[in-house]
Amino acid sequence: MALLEVIDLVKDFGGVVANNRVSFSIDRGEIIGLIGPNGAGKTTLFNCIVGYHKPNSGKVIFKGREMTGFKPFMTSREGIGRTFQIMKVTAGMNVLENVMVGAFCRTDHRPSARKEALEILAFLGLEDLKAYHLNELPVAGQKKVGLARALAIQPELLMLDEVASGLNPKETEEMVNLLKRIHLEKKITLFLIEHIMEVVMPISQRVIVLDGGEKIAEGLPKEIVKHERVIKAYLGEKYAQGL
Amino acid sequence: METLRDAFDFRDFSRIERIVFLLFSVFLLVFPWLGTGSFVKAVMIQFLLFSLFGMGWNTIGGYGGQVELGKAQYVGIGAYTVALMMVWWRIPFWVSMPIGILIAVGYSFIIGYPLFRLKGHYFAIATICTSLVLQDIFINWKLVGAAKGIELPIHEHPDFLYMQFKSDTHYFYFIMVLFFAGLFYMNWFRKSKLGYQLRMIKDDEEAAESLGIDARWCKIKAYSIASAFVAVGGGFLAVYNLYIDPYSVMDLDLSIKIALMAMLGGPASMWGPIIGAAFLVPLDRFLGSWLGGQRGLIGLDFMIYSALIMVVSAYQPRGIWGILEQFRRKGA
Repeated sequence: MALLEVIDLVKDFGGVVANNRVSFSIDRGEIIGLIGPNGAGKTTLFNCIVGYHKPNSGKVIFKGREMTGFKPFMTSREGIGRTFQIMKVTAGMNVLENVMVGAFCRTDHRPSARKEALEILAFLGLEDLKAYHLNELPVAGQKKVGLARALAIQPELLMLDEVASGLNPKETEEMVNLLKRIHLEKKITLFLIEHIMEVVMPISQRVIVLDGGEKIAEGLPKEIVKHERVIKAYLGEKYAQGL
Repeated sequence: METLRDAFDFRDFSRIERIVFLLFSVFLLVFPWLGTGSFVKAVMIQFLLFSLFGMGWNTIGGYGGQVELGKAQYVGIGAYTVALMMVWWRIPFWVSMPIGILIAVGYSFIIGYPLFRLKGHYFAIATICTSLVLQDIFINWKLVGAAKGIELPIHEHPDFLYMQFKSDTHYFYFIMVLFFAGLFYMNWFRKSKLGYQLRMIKDDEEAAESLGIDARWCKIKAYSIASAFVAVGGGFLAVYNLYIDPYSVMDLDLSIKIALMAMLGGPASMWGPIIGAAFLVPLDRFLGSWLGGQRGLIGLDFMIYSALIMVVSAYQPRGIWGILEQFRRKGA
């Protein structure tokens, strides 16, 4: 049984069709990449799945249960974690407190939320940052806190929206390793939107390509880079030759 | 058990904060014996009352970050419940007050449910409106005394059942007990799951929802907690003044004062509302009587009052407490 199944999902913003009959499924334990040019509807698709947008038609099925139109807090309680492309950087709470809020999703007990949060921070190598506030951290740190927060709700499916954007090559490599460890050690299924091919190609087991709101291709990374429509829409000739 | 321990556990505050808090508590305990005049005593009672209001407002307004400007309606609900039950059925304070809290909480759920569909400015405006509507109803409602208000029957002797006393000292200790109850509650609240979730909602509501937080429900809960706090203060006002009318307990002025004191002192902090009340209540009273009464400069106190608020909020949005913390961080 697929972990997440999206069937014929349509989202239209008063004339602009952001997602047009998109269907795909994700199995437990997979790493799936979602790519496409700007405005292809990737983030909209994410938002429709987790409930920030209500799809016009189509179905979202998670763990065999239909949850189309569920509110974001419901989908996250069901086990879908997500990070944001642009994180609001605020000074209200420190890193530990941020992650504790995530952990409070599964417990009412403060000491256990704290323990869980500290474990996740240790797992991501963020213990030293726990007393800092988000606005005091570099972008890479902020992204990792977003990741830690999402992990704290103990998701089965983690949806990452451009988790490597704004990072330098070294930080990007670190992030890729982190994602691999999350997948391997925490046994979490990953679904990532990514612009940076160096991130998405090596770790994805399958890649879904969106263009103009429609799914134009789906397959193994090595198939995708040779796919004619994908090259035309997104990758450009250079990348295909280089690989 | 855990709850009680959290409420009385101040260990995560700095040593200075704990010492100041202890000295302040001792000061409150001995204050009536310092031989101050009745005017000063009345100001102290007002200060404790507004601290209590501010602490309540702080749950939804400070921790939750929602600009709530309609707290006066709950002062009114608390005050009217106590007063009416006493006048109509001679029900003692200790019975009518809990009923008043229940009514306030019930009403806050009914109002809060549609109210929290709104956000930002729209929410702030809507809170003002709901409060004004309730005030208007009470102004025109003959059964509850309409614009003339209600006078409570005066008891000849001090009466703990109806909480009526001759001397301000009794009232002082009464409000002091309520103040400390509120303070310990807030000490628990800020460490509770709801406290954490509200702060997340304030920081980033979208992210909060992605962490399994039902933002609207959390806000409604915090709103009703705030309403309960304020209703208790309202009940106190009824037995303290022995007279209430819609203008004194349900006015927009009161709503704004409650919010301003907490904002000026430092929203989303333990001491903020107390500091804010400690600044503004005496300023309000002394400046008002000195400039207005003796110098004939009526209205100048309000100008000073608002200038102070503008300066602090421009300089440090986290209020006086934010300024103090800034200094401490620099010093450390």
